[in-house]
Amino acid sequence: MTDRVRLSRIVQVFGWTGLTSLGGGRSAYFYDAVVMRRPWLKSHEFIQDLTLSQLLPGPSFNNLGVALGVRLAGWRGGAWGALALLVPGAVILLGLTLLYFHVGFAPNTTSAMHGMGAAVVGLVFTTTARMIRASIRGGRAIVVAAAIFVLVGPLHVNTGLVVLIMVPLSLWLHRPRGGS
Amino acid sequence: MTWTFLWLSLICVGGGLGVIPELQRQVVDRFHWVTAREFLDGYTLSQLTPGPTMLVSIFVGYRAHGVLGAFLATAAMFLPTAVLTAVITRHWATLRDRPWARACERGLAPIGIGLMAAGVYTLARSGIHDWATGSLALLAAAVLSTGWLPPFLLVLGAGIVGWLMGL
Repeated sequence: MTDRVRLSRIVQVFGWTGLTSLGGGRSAYFYDAVVMRRPWLKSHEFIQDLTLSQLLPGPSFNNLGVALGVRLAGWRGGAWGALALLVPGAVILLGLTLLYFHVGFAPNTTSAMHGMGAAVVGLVFTTTARMIRASIRGGRAIVVAAAIFVLVGPLHVNTGLVVLIMVPLSLWLHRPRGGS
Repeated sequence: MTWTFLWLSLICVGGGLGVIPELQRQVVDRFHWVTAREFLDGYTLSQLTPGPTMLVSIFVGYRAHGVLGAFLATAAMFLPTAVLTAVITRHWATLRDRPWARACERGLAPIGIGLMAAGVYTLARSGIHDWATGSLALLAAAVLSTGWLPPFLLVLGAGIVGWLMGL
């Protein structure tokens, strides 16, 4: 398997994504970086890795960075991509932690966070709408996605339980059929 | 502490939000590495900081055992599951062209979309609580759909607007 993207470009773009992914809904930043702004991945490829990163244990943003890195440049892409993604935020948070415990700095930024949170809702909404348009094909996929949305969102059913039920159901609904 | 964060990473499925109650139970109530107030402040800092929210492990690890603690807690939180993801992704890449693997991918795609849509709902419930935040969200969606601004500039700008308006 050949690398789709040079390692140095992955480190650069993943590092920038790690440095600028503010305020929640962080996979949307990745979508913007590797699907919208650069022709590195097709939307359906991104969704495959996003889904995998959500189903596997661990922080999903980091899992997504690893999965995308492996897809774009193999083992080294996964390792360096994840490091580039984590290190900027880790260094900043360590700095803030030192300030908090040694200088007495306390986060009093509720208003700013409310503003950022609202914009992130718009960001994630736009990204999800793009993904749905690009990737959801057929009635079965729409039903599965809608059921998961309703169960995990408005009905607050445990995510793990929903995944446990819906993954086998969706796989069965999308099983290979003769001629397809 | 390292084992605790490793275990927390393994029960962290479908995004970081679900593991927060258990994280708080372990680090505040069980082991007393941080106080409840410190935990809340640490979580707020991790939300303000770019990158995964689970970097809160740095804050807790530092409080418990200094810089080494921060490093170990973070490595335990991210490294094992990253290796697992890399191994599965790599092996999956070799199987991807088989019919059953394609069917799996078709079957899993709506799962990811559904979870992401549910994430939009959850974020909207916590992020939109009056006309001002609702308008900001709509404005952000409109601007982002044009592609004029990179997302972080918009989110940063919205943070400044929120701070100026005292949202």
